[in-house]
Amino acid sequence: MITGNLKASYAADERVFDNPNKRAFFYASLLALAGMAAFANDYVILVACQMGILLIAVTGVNVVTGYTGLISLGHAAFVAVGAYTVTIFHTAFAGTIPDGMMALIAIPLAVAVSTLVGIIVGLPALRVKGLYLAVATLSANFIVIFLIEQEAFARWTGGMVGIDTPVPNLLGWQLDTKREMFVLIAALGVITLLAVQNLFRTRVGRAFIAIRDRDYSAEIMGISLLRYKLTSFAISAALCGLSGALFAYFYARILPEQFELALSLELVAAMIVGGMGRTMGPVFGVLVIVMVPEVIKSIFGVATGGVAGVAQLLAPLQEIAFGLLIVLFLLFEPLGLNHMADRALRALNRWPFAR
Amino acid sequence: MTLTRRSFLATGAAASAAIGTPMIVKAQPSEYVFGSSLPMTGPFATAGQLVAPALKMFEDLANEDGGIGGVPIRTTAEDSGYVPQNALANYQRALATEENLVYYYGDSTGFMKLVAPELKGENARLMGSTSFASELANPEKNPYQYLAGPSYEDQFDILLQNIANQGGSTVAFIYSNTEFGRDPLERGRARAEELGIEVVLEESTKAQGADVPTHVTKLAQSNAEYCILQGYVTGVWPQLIGGARQFGLPTKFMGTFWGMEKLIADRVTAESGPFLDGYLGVMPYRYSYDAENAPRYARYAEYQKTAFAGTPLETYMPTWGLQSLCAMELGLMALRQVHDEGKELTAENAAEALASIQDWDSGGFFGVPVSMEGNKIGTGRVYEYSAETNLFTPASDWFTV
Repeated sequence: MITGNLKASYAADERVFDNPNKRAFFYASLLALAGMAAFANDYVILVACQMGILLIAVTGVNVVTGYTGLISLGHAAFVAVGAYTVTIFHTAFAGTIPDGMMALIAIPLAVAVSTLVGIIVGLPALRVKGLYLAVATLSANFIVIFLIEQEAFARWTGGMVGIDTPVPNLLGWQLDTKREMFVLIAALGVITLLAVQNLFRTRVGRAFIAIRDRDYSAEIMGISLLRYKLTSFAISAALCGLSGALFAYFYARILPEQFELALSLELVAAMIVGGMGRTMGPVFGVLVIVMVPEVIKSIFGVATGGVAGVAQLLAPLQEIAFGLLIVLFLLFEPLGLNHMADRALRALNRWPFAR
Repeated sequence: MTLTRRSFLATGAAASAAIGTPMIVKAQPSEYVFGSSLPMTGPFATAGQLVAPALKMFEDLANEDGGIGGVPIRTTAEDSGYVPQNALANYQRALATEENLVYYYGDSTGFMKLVAPELKGENARLMGSTSFASELANPEKNPYQYLAGPSYEDQFDILLQNIANQGGSTVAFIYSNTEFGRDPLERGRARAEELGIEVVLEESTKAQGADVPTHVTKLAQSNAEYCILQGYVTGVWPQLIGGARQFGLPTKFMGTFWGMEKLIADRVTAESGPFLDGYLGVMPYRYSYDAENAPRYARYAEYQKTAFAGTPLETYMPTWGLQSLCAMELGLMALRQVHDEGKELTAENAAEALASIQDWDSGGFFGVPVSMEGNKIGTGRVYEYSAETNLFTPASDWFTV
């Protein structure tokens, strides 16, 4: 009977992909992404890009909330910072820096600025926890949006009316179609997941988990709360900044309303539905949050032929169906879809000895 | 039978002809699709829910008239929840799934701005929307997008012109702290100065749940003769007017298109009393009950009586529905023109045909012949609400700005 994966050395236990099934899944996923880039239609590419952008941000939230146990309701602010940094950088240095280099500088810069903002926003985490921290981070969201909307900065941010975003150019490769953007988003999405998976094999990642499980115990064991809580916020904000940079490059225009509380809640919802503190959790969460409404809409569309009169009656039902789905997940699988997938895969792995 | 080179070629040619023939026949599609995103849930669900039935009416009546060159049209609608990204996904889905999508109707300024740079080559479609944002009426930047009426800036022009005609000398601008609310402010200031009207107050409020007493107090301090309200749909504007009346202010209030819906004014009057009496505002279209010498409105009314019996639409088409109908009629007219000229129904050809619309007798929407100038129709007039009759009635002639 199979009871687990044999690991004959510490190095084997340390591997990012610690069993052949995971490796196979990883390579199959890469193939699937390549296949999508080549053959999927524009609509599928659009939805996949939306999922990819959200995935990176949810992974960021997962680092701070899922792994470190610090609740944040303000991560949309970091996405906004990333998006606006890229746009402002392109405006400020147009003509000075060669086009082909702009994105290569702008993306790391967006990540760096978001990291900095993340550290500042993370400071209250040293004094408060739980709901109090949630409220403190929430205010960060409002402050950032408030600043973006100010007329005084409108030259750079576009103010209330938003601002057109640049088209990325990677060393002469103009990413002016959604399909080309998909390649960039998918690549960065995969790298992000691998980086986070790797992070939790390191001392830093394990310190995060220790803080989540009992922060004062962690401190007694020699983990500096100041350092690691801020590091967690910084990494988390950096990923959201990356997501924001891609957001700006992907959409032709950014508006402040796209980064309001609704986005922060969406990020947290995706993380909870997918599975907190699990690498694949954000992937499952984003699948549910982005794809399920689209699937429901498509099913309703096919069922009704898209007739306006019927759509009018069914539109609220779509919302109810989606809401119900989330509630059912939380009721019957509070550990998220990731846990459900784990159980299914484990049963498959040990079949016929276990269900 | 032995397969020789000759028989292979002959069979191949016959097969190609057999497969190819339906393709040639298919050149004339079985239908054309008019897609749309509507806010059927979310903050503007009231508007979306009222507009959706109007699309079916548009489809039926257009098909009675032969669709486009004898090919019927079909309208589709999807919910956006008033989220620009959702509407963008709806548009992309329509492009991917509807082979003969020739027109699209968007539901917000945000969506129109988001989608504008995407409208290139095969992804471009002629596109109307619920928005009157001034920025959209720009043929150079947004060649395929148009406004089925005056922009908010034009609407401010019309209101300020009306104030000047009435001998008014001071005005206050109260607006929601949104893109929608701020849209015409700069133009309004400049136009007021040109007309010799002093802007004595510019007050920003929340779009929902505004602190009404504070705003009313500031209005009282400014002592404005007129007050233009901008950037509201169902809320805030009635409360501001109610607050001002309770305060005893004689200020005359004015609104723009989205603050001019009779259903809202009637509901406020029924629930809170007649304080909206005398409320003025600019409206690009005649109200649906103003159907004299309006054959199109008469036809709509006839359809509504049977198709929408038992609903509020049986006897009245909301202004929001009229806007959508007008936008789609303009799009249909442009596409029919393209078809009649024997051209392909591309966004480029349709936009060119749309831009050529001059002195259009709309049969109801506008009281005067109108023209498409700079991807908009800068015509409207001022209406006044009577709490006694529950009707908006004309308070000025038609202005074209």
